Amino acid sequence: MDPPLSFTRRDLLANASGGLCGIAFAHVLAREGLGSSGRRDDGLVGLHHPAKAKQVIQLFMNGGASQMDLFDYKPELEKLHGQKFDPGTSERVEAATSEAGAVLASPFKFQQHGESGRWVSDQLPHLAKQVDKLAFLMGMTSRTNVHGPASFLMNTGFLFPGFPSMGAWISYALGNLTDNLPTFVVLPDSRGLPYNQRGNFSAGFLPVMHQGTIVRANALQPLPDLAPPVSAEFISAESTRDGLSLLEKFNTRHLTAHPGDSRLTARVRAYELAAKLQVSAPQVFDLSDETAATRARYGLDNPVTEDFGRRCLLARRMVERGVRFVQVWSGANGPTGNWDNHASIIKELPPIAASIDQPMAALLEDLQQRGMLDETLVLWNTEFGRMPFSQSSEGRDHNGGAFSGWMAGAGVKPGVAFGQTDPWGWRAVENITTTYDFHATVLHLLGIDHQRLTVRHDGADRRLTDVHGQVIREVLS
Amino acid sequence: MKSAYVGNLEKGTQGNRVRLMDAPPASVYAAVQKGKAEMLTQNPSRSRRRSSGALARARAWTSLACLMASCGNQPINAQDQTAIPTVSEPASSLSAGEPRPQVDFTRQIWPIFSKNCLACHGSENQESGFRLDSRELALTSGEEHAPNLIPGKSAASNLLRFASHEVEGLEMPPDGEPLSAEQLDLLRRWIDQGAEWGEVPEADPGEALNWWSLKPLVSPPVPAHSPGCRNELDAFVRSKLAALGIAPSPEADRRTLIRRVSFDLIGLPPTPEEIAAFLADTSDNAYEQLVTRLLASPRYGERWARHWMDAAHFAETHGHDQDRIREHAWPYRDYLIAAFNEDKPYTRFVQEQVAGDALFPDEPQATVALGFLAAGPWDESSLRDIREDTIDRQIGRYLDRDNMLTNVMSNFTSSTVQCARCHNHKFDPIPQTDYYALQAVFSGVERANRTFDVDPNIHRQRLTLQTKKRRLENDNLARREVLLSPSVAAEVAVWEQELTAARAAWTILAPASVGSAGGATLTPLADHSVLASGTAADQDTYTLTFALPAGKVTAIRLETLADESLPLDGPGRQDNGNLHLSELEAFSGEGEQSRLEFARATADFDQTDWEVSKAIDGSPQTAWGIYPQVGRSHVASFELKQPLTASAGTTLTVVLKQLHGGRHLIGRVRIAVSSAPGALLVLPPERIEAILAVPQNQRSPEQQLELALYQQQSKLAGELAALPPPSYVYAAASDFVPDGGLKPPPGPRPIHVLKRGDIRQPMDEVFPGALSCIAELPARFELPETTSEAQRRAALARWLTNPNHPLVWRSIVNRVWHWHFGRGIAATPNDFGRMGGLPTHPELLDWLAIWFRDHGQSLKQLHYLIVTSATYRQTTANRQANDPATTQDVDNQFLWRMNRSRLDAESIRDALLAVTGQLDLRMGGPSDRQFDLQPGSHVTPIIDYGKFDLAGPGANRRSIYRFLFRTLPDPFMESLDCPAGDTITPVRENSVTVQQALALWNDALVARRCEQFAARLRGISPSRSEQIAIALELALGRPPTAEELTELTAYSEVHGLENLCRVIFNLNEFVFIN
Repeated sequence: MDPPLSFTRRDLLANASGGLCGIAFAHVLAREGLGSSGRRDDGLVGLHHPAKAKQVIQLFMNGGASQMDLFDYKPELEKLHGQKFDPGTSERVEAATSEAGAVLASPFKFQQHGESGRWVSDQLPHLAKQVDKLAFLMGMTSRTNVHGPASFLMNTGFLFPGFPSMGAWISYALGNLTDNLPTFVVLPDSRGLPYNQRGNFSAGFLPVMHQGTIVRANALQPLPDLAPPVSAEFISAESTRDGLSLLEKFNTRHLTAHPGDSRLTARVRAYELAAKLQVSAPQVFDLSDETAATRARYGLDNPVTEDFGRRCLLARRMVERGVRFVQVWSGANGPTGNWDNHASIIKELPPIAASIDQPMAALLEDLQQRGMLDETLVLWNTEFGRMPFSQSSEGRDHNGGAFSGWMAGAGVKPGVAFGQTDPWGWRAVENITTTYDFHATVLHLLGIDHQRLTVRHDGADRRLTDVHGQVIREVLS
Repeated sequence: MKSAYVGNLEKGTQGNRVRLMDAPPASVYAAVQKGKAEMLTQNPSRSRRRSSGALARARAWTSLACLMASCGNQPINAQDQTAIPTVSEPASSLSAGEPRPQVDFTRQIWPIFSKNCLACHGSENQESGFRLDSRELALTSGEEHAPNLIPGKSAASNLLRFASHEVEGLEMPPDGEPLSAEQLDLLRRWIDQGAEWGEVPEADPGEALNWWSLKPLVSPPVPAHSPGCRNELDAFVRSKLAALGIAPSPEADRRTLIRRVSFDLIGLPPTPEEIAAFLADTSDNAYEQLVTRLLASPRYGERWARHWMDAAHFAETHGHDQDRIREHAWPYRDYLIAAFNEDKPYTRFVQEQVAGDALFPDEPQATVALGFLAAGPWDESSLRDIREDTIDRQIGRYLDRDNMLTNVMSNFTSSTVQCARCHNHKFDPIPQTDYYALQAVFSGVERANRTFDVDPNIHRQRLTLQTKKRRLENDNLARREVLLSPSVAAEVAVWEQELTAARAAWTILAPASVGSAGGATLTPLADHSVLASGTAADQDTYTLTFALPAGKVTAIRLETLADESLPLDGPGRQDNGNLHLSELEAFSGEGEQSRLEFARATADFDQTDWEVSKAIDGSPQTAWGIYPQVGRSHVASFELKQPLTASAGTTLTVVLKQLHGGRHLIGRVRIAVSSAPGALLVLPPERIEAILAVPQNQRSPEQQLELALYQQQSKLAGELAALPPPSYVYAAASDFVPDGGLKPPPGPRPIHVLKRGDIRQPMDEVFPGALSCIAELPARFELPETTSEAQRRAALARWLTNPNHPLVWRSIVNRVWHWHFGRGIAATPNDFGRMGGLPTHPELLDWLAIWFRDHGQSLKQLHYLIVTSATYRQTTANRQANDPATTQDVDNQFLWRMNRSRLDAESIRDALLAVTGQLDLRMGGPSDRQFDLQPGSHVTPIIDYGKFDLAGPGANRRSIYRFLFRTLPDPFMESLDCPAGDTITPVRENSVTVQQALALWNDALVARRCEQFAARLRGISPSRSEQIAIALELALGRPPTAEELTELTAYSEVHGLENLCRVIFNLNEFVFIN
C-alpha cells in the first residue's frame, strides 16, 4: 500500500516520533519536493527538528592520524623526549602492536594561526589559513586500539561488522535530494579501499539501497553497471531504447493483471530512473567544465595532490547536484601510504599530509565562495590517534585514548575548540568526545534526534549511537 | 545507485514490519533487587545447592531490576495500558471544592514512574543523569535541569513541566503516549502534597515468564476441517479466516503451482518438459508426486542450505580490516547441503553444529558441522596480530564469543540473549548472568582450521591415537604404571638398540662443490665441514653438492658447528652467534634434478618460536634458530618422505636458504646421510640424550620413566604421521596448529560477569549454562571443574534439543514457515521475546512444533505438509477494495492468499544459467572464485568481479558454490539483496531499487547469458516464432499470447534475439513468482 502523499510537514513531525512511520513519510515528502531541476530545495526540513545542514562531506583519514603531529601541540613532549613515558598513574602503559618506547616529541614545528590562535603543525600550511572556519574536537576518544573495530566504531557506532554506517543512517532517515545521483557516495583513495573495505560504508541491516555507492574517480566506469559492457556487441543505443520501451509495455501489462502490488509499480519506475541516471551521472565526473583556476586550486596539476584533490572537487560537484553524504578517504588499508605511521612519523606523515592539505583547504574556500558552506557540513575524521611515545625509535603505535577531528560549515561555530588531552596527548581528559557524541552532533545538525532514529534489529532498537551520545552544543553556532 | 529511493515496499527487516506487540510487563521494570542474583553465579562444583524450581528461577531474574532502556528506545505505546493496573482515580468523581485526598505514592504514583519513566531514569540507565528510583535522587539528580522535583511546587518542578509538554524539545516521555490528564493531575497533587515516597511494590515473579514462547508446548485441538481443507494446517488457517469473515483464495493454476513450488524447493525453474508432464498428469496426486520428486532432488539441499547459511552468516573470509581468505570454510557448506539432502533429524542437526565433536566422535562430518560456530566474522588483528597482553586482545576474545553464542541462541532458540551483555535484558527474562554462562560454554574454543578425516576408518584410527597421546600427556598414576610395565620396558630396550645402530649409520659426505649467493667465502675443511668467512651479507643461500654412495637414503643430517673464527664461537655468523635457516631444500640427480620432500625435521635444540620444522615449511618468512645456545654445535635431522635409492655418484644438492636478514647466517656446516629407518633418526632432546648416556642398569626409575615416555610418544607421533594427511575445516577448535599469535587456549578461560559489559570491570565468575527462564530445563550445567571444553558445548547441545524445550521446536517450524511464505507465523524468526512479533496463529505454531518434534523431526516431511496444504496452493491475487480481506488484513497476515515473492539473488542467477542451458550441476568442493584476485597492500587482496571470465571454469555452477567474500561481496548479487555474511540474516531484504534495475539491464553477467540464451534458441529451432515461444516457456513457464508474439517478433527482427533475451530477463514476470 502506498502511503498517502498529502501529509503535511506538521504531520510528518508528529509522526516522526513513531520512528519508522515518520521516516517513510519523510521519503515521500522529500520526493514531492522534487523540482524541475531534478534537485530538491527542501533539504532543511530535518526529521525531528529543522536542520542546519542539508548535506555532508566527510574527509576520513584512514589509519589513525597523529594528533600530536598535526593539531594537538604538546611542548611537554619536547621536554621529555627520549625519556621513559610515565603518565604518573599506576595504569599499565600498553600499545597494541609494540612495546611502549621512549617519549617522542613531534619532529614538526607548530605555530598558532588565525584569529582563533589554533595550533597547527607545519605539515598543513594551507589548512592552517582556514582554522577560523573550523570547530576542533581536541579530546576525541575511541574504545579500541585496533583498526578494524575502531574504523567500524567511527563509521557505524559499533565495534564489529553488520551495522549501518552514518551515511546509510542519514540516507535512511532523510532520503535523497535528487533522483539523478546516489544519496550516499564514497570516494576511496585510488590506491585502494580503507581498513574494513566496504564494511565501513555498509547499510548493515538497513535496506541495501542505503549503503555507500563507491565511485572510482579514476576508473573508466566510475559506477558499476551504469552502461552495458563493451563486450556485449549486440547492445546498441537503439536496442536499449526500444528494449526499455518494450519492457515497460510488458511490465505495465503484467502490473494491470496483478493489481495492488506496489513492488511491481516500483520496478517499472526503477527502470525509468535508471535510464535517467545513465544520462545524468556521467556529467558529474566530467571536470572539463571547471576552470583551470579551480583545477589548480584543488591541486589537480600536482601529482602529490591530484588524487585527493580530484575527489574533493568531485565531492563539491556531487553536493552541488544533490548528493546527501559524500565520504572522501585518504589512504588505503595496509602498513604504508596512509596515516598508520608505525615505522616513522618523520618519513611517513609528510607525504600523506601534503596530499590532503591543499585540496581540503581549497574545498573549504570553494564551498564558502559558492555559498554552499551554509548548508554543507564538512567533517575531518580518523579512527583513532597515535601514541606520545615511540615505536621502533621514530614511529608511533595506535592510540584509542585520544585523537583530534574537526567540523566546519552548516550550523558549526567557527574558530572554536572543544576538549583537551593530557600534557602528552595520550588520553583525552577534558570535554572528552566519544564517537557517539560526534555522531549525535552530526545527526543533530541534519535535523535528526539520534535517540529517536532507531530500527528494530535482532531484538533491539538499534541506533547509530547505540545507547550513548550527547550533542556537543559547544560547537554549534 | 543503491541509494536512489524507489521503493522497498515489502519491508524485509524484522523492524520494518507492523508488529503485533505487547508491552513489556511493568514488573520487569518495577522489580526490585532483592539479592537473589548471586544464586546463578555460584560455582556448582563449590555449591551444589541450586534452586531448581521455576518460581525461584523467575524470582532470580525479576529481582534484577531492569530499569533501563539501553539498546534503543523502549517502546511505550497505548497497548501498555493493560500491562499494569491503572490506579488513577477519575477526577470527575470528586465534587468541586472538596479537599482533594492524599495521593497514595505506592498505588498511584509509582506505577506511572515505572511504566513511563524508569526505563530511562532508573538505576541502570540515567538519561541526563536523572534518576527517579529513590526520593533522594529524584530531588537532586539531573545535571543541567536539576532540581527536577521540588516538593510543594508542582509548577516549578521540571518533572511535571516536561511531562505536561510545556518545554519544547523536552517532552516526556520522548516516545509513545503522553501522560493522560488524570495522571498529570495525580503528579501535580502528589508534588504539591510534599512528594512523599512510599513502599515500592515487588513485582510478580511469575509475570515475566507468562509469555507465549516460554510456555510449555501443549498440543492444541485441531479445528474442524471446513470444505477445501487439505490438511491440519488449513484447518487452523481457515478457522481463523472464517472468524474474520475472510474467504480463502482458490487454488492457483498448474503452471503457477509448478513454477512456485520448484523455485521454493529447489531454487530452479521447471523445464518445459516438466511443465508439460505436470499439465498432462491427470492423477489425483499429481501435485503431491511433483513435491515428492522435488524433495528427493539433490538440488533441494543446494537450495535450503543457502537459507541456513544466511542465518549462520557464513562467508569465506574473516571480515574486519584483515579480510583473509578461509581456505577451508567450504566443507561446512557441503555438510549443510548433505544434511538437508539426507534429511538429517533436527536434533542431530542442532547437536552436530554445537558439539558434534564431543557427541559423535566417530562421525567425521559431525566435526565439520562445527563450521557453524565459526561461520561469522573474525577479527584477525585483535585475535592474532596485536599483543597478547593487551586489553584489546581480551575485548576481541569476548566479542568473538559473543558472536558464537549469538549465532547459536538466535538461530536455535529465537531468543535475543545477546541483549543481556551489558545489563539484564530489558524486555525478556534474561539476566546478565545467563549471557555470561553462555560465554563460559564457548570459553575454550577459538576459530581455526580443524582436522578431520573424510574416511571414518582413518578418523577412528586417528582418534584412538590422539586419545592415547592425550593419556600420555596427563601425568598420573595410571600413566606411571603403564610406562614402567615390563612390556614397555622391553619396547624401550629394543628401540635403544636400534637407535644406537642407526646412529652409527650416518655417512658424512665430502662436498663436491660449494657456492654462496651472498658472496661468502666457503672453505671445505678436513672433517668435510664447510666454513664460511669473508663477506657476510644480510641474507645468503649456500648451495652444496655431494656425490652419494650407492644405497638408500632415508634422512639428511645437518650439523652446524662451533668454530673459533665465528662471533661468540658461532655456529652462526650473527654478532650474537645465532643463525636462521629459513629453508633447507635438497635435490637429487644432475640436470633434471628431482626435489626431495621431507616428512619431518628434528633438532637437538630449537630457539623459542624458531623450531626446525620451520626450515621445511615452505615459508621463507619462518626459520630455525638456536639462540641462546650459541658457542656450541647443533644438529638437525631431516627425514625424507620417500627414501631415495642412489647409485654410486648420484649428486645430492643441498640448498640452505638463510633469508631472515641481519646476517643470521650459518658459520660452519657439515652434511651427512643415513639409510636407517627415518623414525630412528629423530633427534631426542638434550634431557633424553643425557639419560641415554647413562648405562642402562644405572638409570633411576625417574629416568626410566622419562625415557619410556619419550619412546612411547615418539612411537605414537610416528603412527600419527603415517596416517594419510587429514582434511581441514574452518570451525570452532580447541586444538589446532598455532597461527602466529593465535594459539590453542590453555583450557576453558574463566568467565566473569562484566559490569556494563566492560572488560575492565569483572564481577562474579560464571559457569556454563544457558537460559534461566525455561522452567523445564536447568539453567546451569552441572559439570565438574575438570570437564573439557567440548563437554560444555555438549551440555548446551543437549539442553537445546530437549524435547520439552519451548523455544527450539517453535523456532524451527516458524523459520521453515517463513522460508515458504515469506513471513513466519511469528514475523520475527530470531526474536520470540516481547519485542518480537506475536504469532498470528499461535495454535498452529504449537501444533506444528509438536508434530515436527514427534514425527521424526524431518524437514522434508514438514515441507511436504506445508506445500501440499490448500493454504500454500492459493493464488496470489489481490481483492477488491471492499472485500473483508482488504479492509481487515491488507498485509495478508492471516493467509487468505499466497504471497508473491521476488526471486532471491541466487535463484535469479541460477535461473539465468538454467534457462540458457548452461547450468553446471557438479556438486561440492572448493568454492568458485568468480573474481580476479590480486595481492593488496595488506592482508586483504584486491578483488575485481568485473575481470572474471564468464566463459571460464567455475562460471556456471549453482550460486551456492560461489566464493563469499565478506567485506568485498559481489555487487551483482548484493544488488539483489544477497547478504554478505557480516550479520545474522534470518529474513532477507526483498528490495526493488535502481541499482538492481541497472544490474539486470547492464551487467556483463546478464549480457553473456543473453548471448548464450539466443544461441540455445537458435539451436532448437530456426523459426523465430518458435524461438520466442520456447524462450517464454523456459524463462516464464508459459507460452506467449498472440499479441506478445507479434511485439516480440517485431522487436527481435530489428534488434536480434540477444536483445530480445535481455528484455525477457528484465521482465517483472521473470523475477516475481506468483
